[in-house]
Amino acid sequence: MAVIRVVDLSKRFGSFWALRDASFAIHPGEILGLIGPNGSGKTTLFRCLAGITPATSGSVSTDGRAVAAPDRKRMLYFVPDGIRPWPDQSVDWMLRFIAGLHGAPDQARVGVIESLGLSHLVGARLGNLSKGEHRRAMLAAGLLTPQPLLMLDEPFDGLDLRQTRDVMAVLRAHAANGRTLFLSIHQLGDAARVCDRLVLLSDGRVVGEGALPDLRSKAHLAGDDAGLEEVFLALT
Amino acid sequence: MPSRSRVLRWLLEKELRELAASRSYWLLLLVVGALVGHAFITSVNLYAEASGIGGGPSALSQGLSPLEGLVVPTLGAYDLAATLLFPFVVIRLIANEKQTGALSLMLQAPASIYTIVAIKGVALVVAWAVAGLIGAVALAVWSGLGGHLYGPETWTVVLGHVLRGVLTIGVSSAAAALAASAASAAIVALTITLGTWALDYVAAARGGAIASIAVYTPSAALRVFEHGELRVATALILLVLGGGGLMIAATWLREGEPLERRALRLGGVLAGVVVLCVSLAQIRASVDVSEDRRNSLPRADEAALRRIDKPLHVTVYLAAEDPRLTDLERGVLSKLRRTMREVEVTYAASSRSGLFERPGDHYGEVWYELGGKREMSRSTTEPIVLETIYALAGQHPPTPVDERPYPGYPLAARPTYAPLIFFGIWPACILVLWWVVRRPRVRRLQSSRA
Repeated sequence: MAVIRVVDLSKRFGSFWALRDASFAIHPGEILGLIGPNGSGKTTLFRCLAGITPATSGSVSTDGRAVAAPDRKRMLYFVPDGIRPWPDQSVDWMLRFIAGLHGAPDQARVGVIESLGLSHLVGARLGNLSKGEHRRAMLAAGLLTPQPLLMLDEPFDGLDLRQTRDVMAVLRAHAANGRTLFLSIHQLGDAARVCDRLVLLSDGRVVGEGALPDLRSKAHLAGDDAGLEEVFLALT
Repeated sequence: MPSRSRVLRWLLEKELRELAASRSYWLLLLVVGALVGHAFITSVNLYAEASGIGGGPSALSQGLSPLEGLVVPTLGAYDLAATLLFPFVVIRLIANEKQTGALSLMLQAPASIYTIVAIKGVALVVAWAVAGLIGAVALAVWSGLGGHLYGPETWTVVLGHVLRGVLTIGVSSAAAALAASAASAAIVALTITLGTWALDYVAAARGGAIASIAVYTPSAALRVFEHGELRVATALILLVLGGGGLMIAATWLREGEPLERRALRLGGVLAGVVVLCVSLAQIRASVDVSEDRRNSLPRADEAALRRIDKPLHVTVYLAAEDPRLTDLERGVLSKLRRTMREVEVTYAASSRSGLFERPGDHYGEVWYELGGKREMSRSTTEPIVLETIYALAGQHPPTPVDERPYPGYPLAARPTYAPLIFFGIWPACILVLWWVVRRPRVRRLQSSRA
């Protein structure tokens, strides 16, 4: 996958700008984190990138060519936060469906189920899962898709500490295999632990992009002991 | 990426699974069983009484037609189901995906939203066909009792109900896509149904242009098939309306498109549907599939009338609520339209009831104009009207051909075991199937190739 460039992406709802001229790059094989306060436009950015919500203006390009919204589903897959699809179906069936629909091999499905600790839940209905279980089931669905870029909205929300660490390891393994991950993360500690680079969003604008040291210097914070929280507070 | 056929198979499986998981669908199956059963048992008993089972005088056998005595009332239960139950099944299939967020995943599937919605349509037709099983059981029981069924007319009624289901699928899908929630969609779908009832009522009272639109309301369109007539325009228009509803749903569910562009596309689809329907309404082809040829003139008259190549213009001074107009319309004009090359009818009465027409208003007169000659008749009966037309055409009435009269099919039999089938076995089967589909399944994780 080549670098994906997002240029001046904007989204307006009536007179309210949810996103304003957001520009950044997504590099192949990296884990890019999207962080920002509540209501900063993280989910809107993901939905516009995935082509599920129409952007007001801006472009997404790869290899120097603009990719129209309907064509982006070949390039990226987005797992939204807070969805509860097909509550009457089992976890097993949902994963078979997603794998079958996107042409994932059967071994991949079994592997993802085992790596996310879902083996004991395959027969359970999606509607009966706890928040954390459901989150892992949706993560599994996302990991089964073949698109080079996977965007996950709040992948650690609802997970306990151990599950968060396990899921991070799984995501790292997928990134090591060449898949690019773009994660919207509310918890800054989680973002700092798992992401290679970060995009900071505030009031719909990108206020910082880069690895933690780059962001520290942008925030004019001296020394290596300033964490992501300090950077976040300084930039947003 | 998987092949297109594989993608379609997965999509169809998903929709069928979602239908099987829907309580509203199982409820529909249960209620349809009871409705069909009640209608069937009542019809067979009435038919038996008319055939003289109780020892009383039997009706003339020629008047005992299984089409109107059994097939139409029994399968009529599906009209009720298509109006009041099936819309909820359709709405759930689309609105649920919007509400649970599954739509955002489906919009990223390797298939267009038009394909996804079309597959939903196919799954719903399958669901409607499964609901039709109990109707087939009723007809089988009737045959088992020794009752007569004439294939072409029975299949035409079945086709009418299939198309009625397709129309419900289209209208309810569009409502589910356009409305914000399932509840709002249900209100929209029922409002459209009430609107068509109102249109039927107004058309019956006023006639004229409204009446020509009202022939395509669900109830009126179904009546054509129930009358043993396979009218090509009606069948195609119902299909276009059903397909148009699905197109509207798919167009509106393209959430990645700006609202203005979706609205523009929606307008295009609506305009296309209207143009197509108006064009299809011009098709006059129709087949009388009834065994007693109730929609046709005698064969000799048909041959003679087909030889008249001049257009017939009829001016009717009868109000829409006047029963004589109904007689004239059903008994003569509809048959003439099916037979002659060109029949143009003008409804010239100025009032709705005809009770207070002035003497100079020609009320009650029917004027026939052919080849520049005019003739007036007050009769609404077939032989007299035909005589008038032959006189205008300068032809002698044809010599009647000996046609085999409709024999009628009396059946003095009680449906003894029918209550057990419809109120015992069918609901038990539905409940067992529901339990089998819904029971929790704990499967060990395994590769499907293993």
